[in-house]
Amino acid sequence: MAERPEDLNLPNAVITRIIKEALPDGVNISKEARSAISRAASVFVLYATSCANNFAMKGKRKTLNAGDVLSAMEEMEFQRFVAPLKESLEVYRREQKGKKEARKDKDKKTDSEEQDKSREEENDDDDERMEEEEQNEEEEVDN
Amino acid sequence: MAAAAGPVAAAAVAAAGAEPAGPGEEAGAGPQCPGPARLARLPLARVKALVKADPDVTLASQEAVFVLARATELFVETIAKDAYVYAQQGKRKTLQRKDLDNAIEAIDEFAFLEGEFLLGFSWFQYFQ
Repeated sequence: MAERPEDLNLPNAVITRIIKEALPDGVNISKEARSAISRAASVFVLYATSCANNFAMKGKRKTLNAGDVLSAMEEMEFQRFVAPLKESLEVYRREQKGKKEARKDKDKKTDSEEQDKSREEENDDDDERMEEEEQNEEEEVDN
Repeated sequence: MAAAAGPVAAAAVAAAGAEPAGPGEEAGAGPQCPGPARLARLPLARVKALVKADPDVTLASQEAVFVLARATELFVETIAKDAYVYAQQGKRKTLQRKDLDNAIEAIDEFAFLEGEFLLGFSWFQYFQ
């Protein structure tokens, strides 16, 4: 029997929440159905990544970008995702820009030495946050 | 049978997707309004781990990982709704595994899932 790679699974709690919000109130999901949807979601990511990577390679790029993922959605016949994804991307970009500018403003008030520290911290913070989330979700997955 | 399940569900998703949602608005906006502008709920680190599992991928931008995460959320919403149509036909209020299987078989866009469900974790084995 193949070992289940825990870190290639998406957190059960989040998947369940998304499912519940997509369905009318009072509807339940069996454990097996939830588990199957979670696996399907992982396969979706893997398949989409592979598709997106083909577009990157066609463009002679080594880095997958957002456009490649959008192209992959069309290729996979999920064109109806493209518009909402573009909107989300705009919000995400604004947020990232806002974060950077907030840091810049903070930095202007401190030493140039501390400026360098802050920039490093910015990257570490993001990674830390992700790790924290990951740890929290890990507990749920171990059920 | 329910060949219309795909387009009907798709229309529902598209209509719901057209709902304007404020940036950073929480999921509590209401179960009927998924809000396309919402930021990702799936942890980006996990999605990134899946992307990295592909040996052909060198690098992925943060934006690419974000869009993948959001796309996956839309996918989960879509497949849940499409499967629910079968539960409704069976007059059930609980979504079951067979509803998923039916949706996957009936809907073209889910064809990429068919082999996986029969063979189990073959995708993961490939990447190992």
